[in-house]
Amino acid sequence: MWIYEKRLQYPVKITKTCPKTAQLIISQYGGPDGELSASMRYLAQRYTMPLKTVGGLLTDIGTEELGHMEIICAMVYQLTKNLTPEEAKTAGFDAYYIDHTTALWPQAAGGVPFTAKEFQSKGDAITDLTEDLAAEQKARTVYENLLRVITDPEVREPLKFLRTREIVHFQRFGEALERTKEKLDAKNYYFFNPEFDKQFVDIAK
Amino acid sequence: MQENLAIAFVPVQDWGALYEAEKALCVGTVFQDLNKPFFAAADEGTDNYHCDAAESSQQQERERMMAKIQATSFVLDDVRLYLDTHPDDRQGLTLLNETLAERKKLLLAYTEQFYPLTVDSMADFYEKDPAPECYCWQKGPMPWEGACV
Repeated sequence: MWIYEKRLQYPVKITKTCPKTAQLIISQYGGPDGELSASMRYLAQRYTMPLKTVGGLLTDIGTEELGHMEIICAMVYQLTKNLTPEEAKTAGFDAYYIDHTTALWPQAAGGVPFTAKEFQSKGDAITDLTEDLAAEQKARTVYENLLRVITDPEVREPLKFLRTREIVHFQRFGEALERTKEKLDAKNYYFFNPEFDKQFVDIAK
Repeated sequence: MQENLAIAFVPVQDWGALYEAEKALCVGTVFQDLNKPFFAAADEGTDNYHCDAAESSQQQERERMMAKIQATSFVLDDVRLYLDTHPDDRQGLTLLNETLAERKKLLLAYTEQFYPLTVDSMADFYEKDPAPECYCWQKGPMPWEGACV
């Protein structure tokens, strides 16, 4: 169950229309390393995690990522809400405008629609947590790429906040992997799959 | 913590120095040890709560209270992730409890002065003003409309 709270995790107040910036930022909504992907990845992986604490962490980070998706969507919305037809035509937002006007739709900066192909839920705790570590790094790189090219401080502040969250989440997934490793045999972490080969595993639920 | 071949290793964080809530929200973490700025965005101003002078004083007050709720709730978000991987950490639990109490107070004050932000706040609002618009998010701007609409 989820309960809505009527506020953003980080405030967004963008006063200047800029469809070009919207077209870049939308990648963190529906792109390969976007917040929607992140949320769906963690919320899918949590069911079969052998450690209850790791299932809890995936729930909390997966929930926070939904909040990040809302921040990104608010940014795209505010960057395009006063768009004129002339701006739509000239500013690099034209193809998106034809299909979606100024509504929100999850896609990558390059126009590729959101797809579950961008993340995994593999059913092996070590594999999934290693994917999660990589996912946070990939998203950090995207935020840094955005920060190199976007100059409006009203857009940069939320991007900087979101970038730091990727680093914090990386740290937590690293700790989750350590907690999982503590329950396994350090001589060979790969002798069995702790999510599947239950005859070997005695992990505190 | 032993290191082994052929598997990733990230050291487990020890409790350390914290930022106060407003600063934590600005940088993106309450933990000073986890603040790792990017060269192309380091040392910038972080004033995100600018409101036009023309705005009504009631609106400015709402902005100010919303900023406090956001900062306090963010500390809660960050310390809860810390506790997920450090469930017995006394200092983490102390911060959690203090922040939970503070958030509860702020949400109640916001509800009484303005409008409810959560379904639980709706019950508090009902005490004061049983208007139907408060039960379907209609009172006050939607969060994506920007801080100072």
